[in-house]
Formats: sequence, C-alpha cells, structure tokens
Amino acid sequence: MLLARLSWAYLKRHKLRWALTVAGVALGVAVLVAMRLANRAVLASFHRTVDGIAGRTELQVHAGDLGFPEEVLERVQAVPQVRAAAPVIEAALDTGLPGQGYLLVIGVDMTGDRSLRDYDLESGEEAIIEDPLVFLAQPDSIMVTREFAQRNGLGIGSRIPLGTAQGIRWFTVRGIMRSGGLSQAFGGNLAVMDIYALQYVLGRGRRFDRIDVALQEGVSLAEGQRALREALGPGFEVEPPAARGRHFEAILRSFSLTLNITSLFAMLVGVFIIYNSFAIAVTQRRTEIGILRALGATRGRIRALFLGEAAVAGSVGSVAGAMAGWLMARWIAGYVARLLQEVYGVVQNVQTAPAEPGLLAASAGLGIVVSLIAAWIPAANAARVDPVRALQKGKYQVLSAGETRARWWLSAGAAAAAVIFLLLGRSLVLFYTGYILAILAALLMTPTLALWLARALRPLLAWLRPVEGALAADSLIQAPRRTSATVAALMLSLAMVIGFGGVARSIYNSLIEWVNTTLNPDLFVTPNAEIANRTYVMPAEVGSEIERIPGVRQVQLVRSARIPYRGTPVLLVAAEAGKLAQTVRRRPLEGDLDDMYRRTAAGQATIVSESFARLRGLRLGDVVELPAPKGLLRLPIAGITRDYSDQQGTLLIDRSLYRQWWADDSVNVIRVYLAPGASAAEVKRQILERCARGRRLFVLGNQEVRRYIFRLADQWFSMTYNQIAVAILVAVLGIVNTLTVSITDRRRELGILQAVGGLKQQVRHTIWMEAVAIGVIGLVLGLGLGAISLYYSLEMTRRDLAGLSLDYVFPLPLAAWLAPVILGAAFAASLWPAETAVRGSLVEALEYE
Amino acid sequence: MSKAATLLLAASLFAQDARQIVEEAQRRSRADSERYEGTLEVIDARGRKSLKRWVYRRLGSHGNSKAIIRFTEPAEVRGVALLILNHPERASDQWMWTPATQRERRIALQDRSTRFFGTDFSFEDLEERDVNQYDYRLLGEETIEGAACWKIESRPRKTRASQYTHSILWIRKENYTFARIENYVREELVRRANYREVHNVQRIWTPRLIEMQDLRRNSRTILRLEKLEYNVPMKESDFTLQALRREF
Repeated sequence: MLLARLSWAYLKRHKLRWALTVAGVALGVAVLVAMRLANRAVLASFHRTVDGIAGRTELQVHAGDLGFPEEVLERVQAVPQVRAAAPVIEAALDTGLPGQGYLLVIGVDMTGDRSLRDYDLESGEEAIIEDPLVFLAQPDSIMVTREFAQRNGLGIGSRIPLGTAQGIRWFTVRGIMRSGGLSQAFGGNLAVMDIYALQYVLGRGRRFDRIDVALQEGVSLAEGQRALREALGPGFEVEPPAARGRHFEAILRSFSLTLNITSLFAMLVGVFIIYNSFAIAVTQRRTEIGILRALGATRGRIRALFLGEAAVAGSVGSVAGAMAGWLMARWIAGYVARLLQEVYGVVQNVQTAPAEPGLLAASAGLGIVVSLIAAWIPAANAARVDPVRALQKGKYQVLSAGETRARWWLSAGAAAAAVIFLLLGRSLVLFYTGYILAILAALLMTPTLALWLARALRPLLAWLRPVEGALAADSLIQAPRRTSATVAALMLSLAMVIGFGGVARSIYNSLIEWVNTTLNPDLFVTPNAEIANRTYVMPAEVGSEIERIPGVRQVQLVRSARIPYRGTPVLLVAAEAGKLAQTVRRRPLEGDLDDMYRRTAAGQATIVSESFARLRGLRLGDVVELPAPKGLLRLPIAGITRDYSDQQGTLLIDRSLYRQWWADDSVNVIRVYLAPGASAAEVKRQILERCARGRRLFVLGNQEVRRYIFRLADQWFSMTYNQIAVAILVAVLGIVNTLTVSITDRRRELGILQAVGGLKQQVRHTIWMEAVAIGVIGLVLGLGLGAISLYYSLEMTRRDLAGLSLDYVFPLPLAAWLAPVILGAAFAASLWPAETAVRGSLVEALEYE
Repeated sequence: MSKAATLLLAASLFAQDARQIVEEAQRRSRADSERYEGTLEVIDARGRKSLKRWVYRRLGSHGNSKAIIRFTEPAEVRGVALLILNHPERASDQWMWTPATQRERRIALQDRSTRFFGTDFSFEDLEERDVNQYDYRLLGEETIEGAACWKIESRPRKTRASQYTHSILWIRKENYTFARIENYVREELVRRANYREVHNVQRIWTPRLIEMQDLRRNSRTILRLEKLEYNVPMKESDFTLQALRREF
C-alpha cells in the first residue's frame, strides 16, 4: 500500500513523463493493431466476397485471369460426378456514381445458376428471378444489393451508368437483393448481370472466367477434383473457392510482410520508450529507493514496485493503443485497398475493419508483456541500489559502470555466427537468424562504440567550446551506458530507414533503367484507365486500324494477365516478340539477346523475369510448363531479364502461341511507336477519332505512363517515409530522456559550474552540445548498421520476397538528408532539458558542498 | 406352375397392357408436324396473374422431333426462343436464343428441373415423353373429371435422366388422350397436369387446355392452345441454331 502511494505521488509529480510512457506503449500497440486489423480487413473482405459469391459452390474450374472458351462448360457438365456447373464472369466496373468507386459485377447464367446461388430479392420482385425471361431478354438488366441501392437512392427501374468496353452505358435496375449472403460480397457494392450480356459489355468474346461446380451427393471434393482434372486436362485449375483466397494472399505476400515489419518496428519503439522512461524514473527516485531499502524494503519489493508501475502503464497504454489502433484500422484498410488496386490491379472494397476481440486482447496482452520486459532492466537496477550510497548527498551511483568482457565476447560471437550463417548457403532460416545475430552484435557493441565515438568527438567539441564542449563530451565518456539506450534506439531506427530507403533507391534505379529501355513506345493504347488493371480488353483489329494512321511507325499488340503457375499467380505477357526485338534492346541477365528473341518469336521458348526464375529456382534452359486451356504448354527459358511488371514474376511468350493455346485474339495494351517527326498529339487525336467511337479507349503518352509507374513506386515506398518520421520521434524522445537523466546525475557538477561563475548560457551550451553529440553518435552508428541492414534487405528481396537481385547502392542522398534532420531533432530535444538545468535550485545542487 | 410364377406372369401381362395403352395414346396423337399459338396464364400463390404468348412449332414424331417455342408477348421478351431437339435414346438438347444479345445459350441437362421462365412447367416438362424411355405398370382404372381412365405408373429408365422419380398417368379410355399426369419426387407429389377441352383437330383428339400445378409453390399455369394445326409443311432447316439467328 505504501509502495502504491509512492508510485502515485511520483506519477502526480511527473504527469508528462507518465503520459509519454503510456503514449509509447499505446503507439506500439496501436500501430500493431491497426496494421494487423487493416491487413485482415482486406483479406477478410476478399474472403467474404469469394464466399458470398461462391454460394453452394464446392469446386471452381479456372485458368487464371485469361479465362477459357465457352465450350469447356459442356465438358464440365458432362462429368458424372458434377451435379451442377454454372459459368461465371467477374469484373469490377467503375460506377460513375459519386463516391461509389467500383461495383463488382458478376455475370451468371440465370437459367441454371440458382442451383448454386440464392438471389434473395426484395419482396414483390421475386418475379425477376422466378421469371428471368425479361431479365435475360434485356441486356441492360442489372440486379444490385439493397445496400448499394440505399446508398444511391436506387429503386426498380432506376438507371445507373457503368464503364463498359463500349464506353459509358446505362443499365436498368431490375432487381434488388436483400441483405445477407451474396449481397455481403464486396462491401455490398455488388451487382448481378446476365453472363452473355456481360461478355459483350466487357468485350471478352465467347469466354468465361470460371465455372462454379456443385458435386453429386456422396462425391467427395477429392473425387470431384480428380474427375474434373481427368476430364479437362492439366490446363485448368480445379480448386475449392477458398483457394482464391490463397492466391490473393500470395499476391500480397511481400506487402503483408512490409506491414508486419512496420508493426514490429513500432513495437520496438514502444519498448525503447518504456525502457528510457523507467531508467529515468530509477535515476530520479534513487534517494527514495535508498530510504525504502534503509527502512527494510527488500530488493524484490523494489523490483516489484517498478514492475507494478510498468504493468499499470502497460495496461493503460495497451488498452488505449488497442482502441486507437481499431479506429486507425479503417482508414489504413482503405489506404491499403487503394494501394492494392493501383499496384496489383486487384480491386477490393473495404468499408469496415471490424474489431476482432481476440486480436485486440492479444495485442493488449503483448503490450503489457513488452512493457514488463522493457522495464525489467531499470527495475533490476533499482533493486541493486545501495542504500548507503543513495542517501549520500551529492553522490550518485553509477549503476552500470565498466564494460564487461562477456558482452564483447558475445558480440564477437554473434557477429561471427552471422557471417558464417550468411556464407553457409541458401536456407532462409539461417539467413534470418544471421540477420538477427548481426543486429544483436551491433546492440551489444553499442556502449563501447558510443564511448569510442564520444572520445573521438571530445577534441572537436572542446575546440568549438573549450569549457562546454569538454563538459559535454566528458558527460558522455563518464557514463557511456546512460546514452547507449538512446544511441541504440536511434541506431536501430536509422538502420531500418537506411535499409528500406536503400532498397527503395535500388528499385528506383532499376525501375528507371527498365522504364527507359522497355517502356519506350511513344504511345500506349489501352481500354483500362489504370495500366495495372486488366478488366477490359479490345479486339486486335484496333491495332490494324492504328497502324494505318499516318505517322505511326510500328504497333505492338500485347495481352497480359495473371495465370496460375505451380499454385501461384504469375503474369503472362503475350506480345509480338519479333517486333519487341527491334525496340527493346535490353541485355538479359542470362541468355543471348538476339537468340532469346528469335526463339521466342518462333514460339519455341519463353523469356522470364529474374523474379520468376529465382523464386522458383529455375535457370536458363529449364522447361516451364504453362497451363493453358488447350493443354500444357512446355517452353524452355531462352532468357532471364529484369522486369518489374509483377512481383511474383513475368513470362513473355509470342502472341501467336497465345492465340493458339488460349484461343483468344484480344489485346489489352497496344504499344505505338511513331515515325521520326510525327506529332504524338496529332496521332493521339487520330487514334481517338478513328478507334474510340463506341469503344472504351485511353491513349497514354510515354511520360504519363512513366509518371504513373513512379507514382505507384512512391505509394509502395510510402512506408519508408512513415518509418523516417518514427525514427525522428525516437531520436527526440530518447534524447529528451537521456538528457534528463544526465542533468539529474550531474546536478552537482552543473551547480558548481554556475557557482564558480559559469553563465546560464554556458550550461545551456553544454546540454545542447551533449544532445547534438548523442545525435552524431547515433547517426554514425545508425548509418553503419544501416549499411549492413541494407545488404540484408537486398538479400531478403532477392532470396525471399521478390527474387530481384538489386545493385547495392548506399542511399547517400537519404543519409545526407537524415543528418541535419536528426541533428536538428537532437538540438530541439535538448531545449527543454537545458532550461530545466539552468532553472534548477542552486542551493539544492550544492547541498553537499 | 407355382403361385409365385403365376403372379409374375400376371404382373408381366399387366405391364404389357400399360405399355400398349401408352403406345396407343402416342400413336393416335402422332402427326408429322404441329403448330399452335399458346397463351400462358401464370397464377401465383397470391392469385396474381401474368400473361405470355408464344408460337409453338414442331416437326417430326414422338421421341425424335424438333420444336421451337418463340415468345411474342409481352413486348420486352418478343423474339426470345427455345429450340428443343428430342432424341429417342437420350435427353433432349435445348437452346435459348435472346435476340438483344444475339446469343444462344444451351440449357444444361442439370437445369431441366428449373422452372420454364416463371411458368409452372419445368424445362423437362416441355420435352416429349417417348414411350420407350419409361417402364409402365397399370395401377387400375379411375374416373377423372367424368371420364373413365386407365391409371398407369411410369418410371424413367436408367438411360432417361429425370427430375421425377415416377409419374402417374391417367389416359381417357374414350379417345386415348391424357387426362392427368402427376409427377413425384420420391414419394412427394410435386406437379400435376390436367388436360382439358379435348377437341378433334384434323382427326387427332387434342386437349386444348393444359393446367399445370406446382404443389410446392401452390401456383398454377394455364396453357391454351389456339390456332392449332397438324401436318403443316415445315422444313428441317427451320429447326437449327442458324434458323433461330436468321429469324431475328
């Protein structure tokens, strides 16, 4: 009870510090909760959409995003184990309604689809489903959900605009689905159309995206899968609807990992803040601890006192953080969904990020545990306080004087093990263990390195200000472990920023080179407003029409879409390889430039991206087996190039092969090269005039596409900027805390300085210089560890995430930018402690003397 | 002869009689072709009515015929057509044609049990019941709406995919026309068709009104056959997908 009162009294005296501690925990937990909830909300939204649309579907037959000819339906229906098989087309179309974004339109054959899905309509409209004749006879018919209808004030007979392959067209609402089941999909922004009408609207020709299958009674999923695979051959995937969720997760893998790293980073920041706050508390309450110990309090009681305070701060912070994280999650989920749409072309409608009690409780629990762990060392230090020394006026006890040999040896051992693990080979477990050991080695070495750097800085500081500089440096030299926590936190933050920033810079450099050499047409013609979106296609004849326009030198037709390869979606690009050979003269990483184009153009080989090859352990000459509706297309790898079109990898095949094996002649991008002297604006005008009538068409200039790609890259790396902000926050908080401890420890020294005639300004200068020196030490160590972290980040990108081997380029501009920012932050952080130092009671400081 | 053998022989003779009756009914209704204008009145469980009209054309005999149903009313469905190709040895092929999208769609076998565009007929009910695709058993005699009838049970053979487990047929003794058909799924009666207003059209006794009741939904559909003609000249080429497309 007495101890609780003491804690309460301290809390009342230091409300700001307590608030800071609680905020530290809250920040860590909030970011963790927000990131996890947002990530889960996006995945849950996708799963909800899949489940909602799947209805009673047990298996789905598909061949990736390219779809397959209608004839496949009869082959599926003829399989004896199949009770019902219904074709489906899905597309997210721009509604053109204010604030509504995309509407997921599913095309179904209403004559048979009810055996798989329930269309629960508002009362009085059942006739639309019961008698689909009118619905089918009128191709502008559409059914929407009650949620969508209410949001937009729609009723039966209302008309809504939708972006179609023929441009904006108006559709008539002929049914409104009740809430629940199917209408839960895509956040309620869901509509149903006749599949044949939707084929026309999307310009897809006689193709389906997939076939939903229900099996006969008594037939197991495995039996059904086997029977369908036998009937259809290897060109088709036969999977339960849940497999679509796995594909989606595979696409998002690297993004999810980035979110997890950011969460972990935030939690580390929380640990650091708690550690620092309690370290200060122990320093400030040393006398109080001494009295308690003198009165008979055991070491255990003292430790319990501080751990109890940590538990309270952790609990309050964790609960507040969990709530704040939940509130933040919805906003972040929306941001993540927009990012996914632009980067991956995967449209998701995430309207809520529901609170998950389990996750909230686990995160709050983690916050409390982390608070206890972070407070453990200060609490242990408090328990070790010698009551005699603590009660001596004017003396302070250096709690952690002296370096231990053990730490040196541990650090050296960890560093050696990290190097060995790195050299040992390809195991990801060893690689990541090595990474952790490298960081551990750096952390263990931090006090020593900080001391060395402080000694190295002393002459410079003394040269700048002989008295203040020497005092500031000596303060750091005399108590290296006092500053080491701040330096370590700053070092870790900066290392992470350098790691991410370096990867970003390397990718940027590679992107620039890729864009310059590969995306070099003067104009891009596409039916999709965003180039990563592949919803709409156009007939190849558009290319012939463009070719006839004066000023056009060459036209290259491209069809690209994701197809499943060994269970993961990869990007298939079908282009005119013979023409590409003339315009894209980019040396491959492996293979001969002319030979790879020649063989690919002849339909004898494929060119794959580095990421495709590395992520699957493939080499030049290896044969890849591509599932196509006509069977398994086997092609040797003729070249390995750098390509950033898709994170899971890209395969380039000749268009002739695509037409033959996928039975499809459509294109989604036309690359247009102009004749010398031709006006891009004039050709664009002519393309729109001749080809865009009654057709959705966008003509993008080279610069527009470049800007678009770099905007995507910027969005992708926006996390790095957030981390820089957090790093600065860490610097400020850490330095404020360290200086507070330093001032408390040196109260007598600063008092004497003032008593012998030292000016207040000199005291201020001492504190400022100490702060900037901490910033310099943190910066130097951070950049050093950053150089190592960058190496690991690049290796992580190559080995695990994207299969890209990026050049090691230290982000000097970023480092140059960070230096003034961190030093400025350090200086700003010292202003308040410096004022505290000069305003302190001189009598109290000199009490002993 | 044992008692069991006597019973088996009697059952066999009974079965033979049932088949002969159905065969005779089929023989009497045979025509090279048929054409009528149908009026469909659908009355749902709440008594609400809707009306559709179609033109029906059939070429060929039982079990091997081809038929086209083309909707003429209401205006928004005009031109929508259904092509049915009946086969003696297997289920029919059916395609629906929608002129607005210029597309035909195949009605899958699995979908034949679904309702035919809001009526109480299923797609399967529009197929012809060829005598050779069923097994028959004479259950006795009954009077239906004043007419003396044979009561016969029919069960689809294994080769005949059907939504119905079995059906009970009532055939008028007087003119071998159907008086009623009741269709069962397992032991549940799901649909009942009453055949009324029997007229002699070109020496073929034909019910001009068919009332189909869906007992699960408690709704019914009345089909009236108007301007009925038999043996009208028709061409094979008019019963193809190309012909469907050509006409609109």
